[in-house]
Amino acid sequence: MKVLIVGAGKLGYRLAQQMLLSDIEVTIMDTNSKILDRVNNQLDVLTINANGVQIDVLKNLNIGLYDLTIAVTSNDETNIVISSITKKLGCKKTIARIRNPEYVEAIPFIKKEMNIDHIVNPELAIATEISRYILKKYAFYSSDFVKGKVSMIDLNVNNIPGFIGKKIHELEDLDDLLITAISKNGNLIIPHGGSILEKDDILYLIGTRAGIKRIADKSQVVKNKSKNKKHIEKVFILGGGKIGYYLAKKLLKEGIRVKIVEQSTERCKYLSEKLDKALIICGDGSDINILEEEEIDTMDAFVGVTGFDEENLLMSLLAKKSGVKEVISKVSRSNYVGIIEKLGVDVALNPINITVSNILKFIRGGKVISVSLLLGNQAEVLEMVASEDLSIIGKPIEKIGLPKGIIIGAIGHNGKAIIPDGKSIIHPNDRLVIFCLSSEIHALDPFFKGNKGGLLNELSNFNKGIRNFINN
Amino acid sequence: MNYPILIKVLGILLTIEALGMVPSLLISIYYSSNDVFAFLISIAINLIVGFTMFRIPVKKKDIKIKEALSIVSIGWVLISIFGAVPLVISGSVPSFVDAIFEMVSGFTTTGATIINDIEVLPRGILFWRSFSHWIGGMGILVFTVAILPALGVGSYQIFKAESPGPIADRIVPRIKDTAKILYIFYISLTILEIILLKFGGMGLYESIVHTFGTVGTGGFSTRNGSIGAFNSSYITIVISIFMILSGISFSLYYQLSKGNWREVFKDEELRLFLSIIGICVLVITFNIGGNLGRSLKDALFQVTSIISTTGYGTVDFNEWPTLSKAILFMLMFIGGCAGSTGGGIKNIRILVLLKLIKREISKIFHPRAVIHVKVNERVLSSDVLASIMSFFALYIFIFIIGTIIISLEGIGLVSSSSAVAASIGNIGPGFDFVGPTNTFSQFSQLSKLFLSFLMLFGRLELFTMLILFSPKFWKDEI
Repeated sequence: MKVLIVGAGKLGYRLAQQMLLSDIEVTIMDTNSKILDRVNNQLDVLTINANGVQIDVLKNLNIGLYDLTIAVTSNDETNIVISSITKKLGCKKTIARIRNPEYVEAIPFIKKEMNIDHIVNPELAIATEISRYILKKYAFYSSDFVKGKVSMIDLNVNNIPGFIGKKIHELEDLDDLLITAISKNGNLIIPHGGSILEKDDILYLIGTRAGIKRIADKSQVVKNKSKNKKHIEKVFILGGGKIGYYLAKKLLKEGIRVKIVEQSTERCKYLSEKLDKALIICGDGSDINILEEEEIDTMDAFVGVTGFDEENLLMSLLAKKSGVKEVISKVSRSNYVGIIEKLGVDVALNPINITVSNILKFIRGGKVISVSLLLGNQAEVLEMVASEDLSIIGKPIEKIGLPKGIIIGAIGHNGKAIIPDGKSIIHPNDRLVIFCLSSEIHALDPFFKGNKGGLLNELSNFNKGIRNFINN
Repeated sequence: MNYPILIKVLGILLTIEALGMVPSLLISIYYSSNDVFAFLISIAINLIVGFTMFRIPVKKKDIKIKEALSIVSIGWVLISIFGAVPLVISGSVPSFVDAIFEMVSGFTTTGATIINDIEVLPRGILFWRSFSHWIGGMGILVFTVAILPALGVGSYQIFKAESPGPIADRIVPRIKDTAKILYIFYISLTILEIILLKFGGMGLYESIVHTFGTVGTGGFSTRNGSIGAFNSSYITIVISIFMILSGISFSLYYQLSKGNWREVFKDEELRLFLSIIGICVLVITFNIGGNLGRSLKDALFQVTSIISTTGYGTVDFNEWPTLSKAILFMLMFIGGCAGSTGGGIKNIRILVLLKLIKREISKIFHPRAVIHVKVNERVLSSDVLASIMSFFALYIFIFIIGTIIISLEGIGLVSSSSAVAASIGNIGPGFDFVGPTNTFSQFSQLSKLFLSFLMLFGRLELFTMLILFSPKFWKDEI
């Protein structure tokens, strides 16, 4: 598969990084040669220093042979034009990033008229996630699979009494639950029965709704929270950018009161014009006086969505300290992933990750229902439907011979969710929730893509065998 | 520095070299010459050492710039040392220093030899010598990258350090695919030339050996009289053409195969390369005089041989008039195109330097003018310009210092300066005492080692080798 990414910003870079893991040929185009130099040194991709709308460059590149163009430059209009042009020049699929709130209403129209296959809006996506968290009043952050019957949560070991210092096979009461991974100091590992749980470890659990509820009840944090958990009524949003705008709009619709602090006077005017019911404060959000003036301690939730990760994180911590129950922070850089979970911020969301997951889902296409990225890009969780021609059908899981980094976390069979053990059997049209370390993504295909057979397939497996041998 | 991964990759490199010796072993078995034993032992040594190094436990798999550059520079020294083993064991070159000189000359595609009578050497050894041209021409590490995608991101750094030219261009997204494509064109060129030479009446064995010497732009022959010994106009012209073809950037062949012939034709570097050849051939033809057809043929062969940095000879150009010799001396510095198998400064750098001079002149008249240096309609950034200028300066410095050191041998200025220019430019023969009819055997051991280093400097584009001598490189400091 060949993919052209136009725009080597944070999103373009992360996309390329993730695609390389699944053996996709990536070409990156950008107008800034300095950035391309860096990309060239860090990723195995072809870089082209040009503007994505230059037709001669695209023709020279033989864009007709590409399977996908992803336009993620900083400019919405450019993205639309690039997607449209590449499509006309023969590229099979196109994805454009469109962020401007004014276009949101027009997206179905743009998609149809400009012939764009998929549109991503990271700001809207993250605002949706945050509002989902606030509105549904989750006691913890989770992602749902198999139509909500299976969830994945992350829990700190410190919060579950009696877990620290034990080996996994000594743990009791883990029916309907599976510990898929443990994060130790920011490194994701796949545990086995003998792995010992240490202080500060984060557990990634997949389980049925009942199982998750049981473990959640056990957890102290959740207990404390649910005790004084009341309806969230007042939300404080730091930063009135696009995310702040989308989020405020969503929350206002649900009747929640919103306070936005934004620095730029121009932007404040715009916001107050568009968001009737919200209270817009013009001021520097990192100024503690303003936060105190605005009585942050009376708020139910604090959301940090300025353009600066550091400001979001620090102000979230400050809000937590002032007694705000829920603090949520936007963090765009993946560098901080390893330490964030120790800070005490309730939820840190990464718009880049959310968008990359979204695009990966689009690429994997067909049977893949959802893709989520964990801990930066250390692992993926994907949900897919098992088609009949897969080689894994009808065999007990322990006989399939999956690599160590790939775990089947749950099976949705006939509308029921099962947490499998070694003896469970996969039937056609089951929904599978698969947990996979990023380093093993290339190994997914032989198991979960249709069985082609034949010499070529054998050869490619042989090649992979050699690669694994040399890697170890 | 991540030493375990460095050792592991070098282990892979030695294992690949062992595989590279197998064809030579087969040749010596076929001709039942007395070097079978030498190859068996050498292959065993390479495999044992290579495999031991390969088995070293590696904690972190990432190859960063430092590791990549060390792999390339140390790797080249290592393969030259291990490649010299069969020469010593078979008794063809008894002195180990001589054998190292010969193999460095082989891998760097220089083609300078210390063997006075090559016709008495066993066929397996001669084959191995020339095979080193072939594998060194496109780069043994490029080959490694092509078959081992496991090197990951470091592969680009390795590729960049080993490919000749200021800008290493990928022609397809993945480095391993780029390396594969380059090798496909390389192998096609090789097969084509073998067939054409065979057609011209050369034996299969000699066709293969001389093809390796041509497409790798090396210059090792099986005859003392080089190509002149065959006394055939057909062979002379075929080899001339292939020397030109090997001096052209291989990415242009890829463009050609994609049907972009217009772009290939417009390529400024190619135009410069061909114009230099054309002008020099004409001037030398009239300068040496005599029979027009004969002098044209001789001039063409010698000019293409020197500019592509091959170093084959059909005549002793030492006897030519001074103007012709001066032109050949100049060609030693120019060399082939970036991304070819040729050495020297490379036409693209010469082109950029000329454009820079032109820009400086315009700037004298129009001090406020904003003038970009463009090649093939692409603006070169000031970083690239600075690296090209410092490369040129370093090249000239090394040439001057090298000449001073070699002049200690007391063989005259022309001989010593041309020996240094021929080594650093990976050409082979120079003038006077190191001319086409002479060898490098007269130098002292120390000078041979020094010249070997110059060849490695030239082949790896100076800076890759130079970092080995920088104390900062070895310390884990900033």
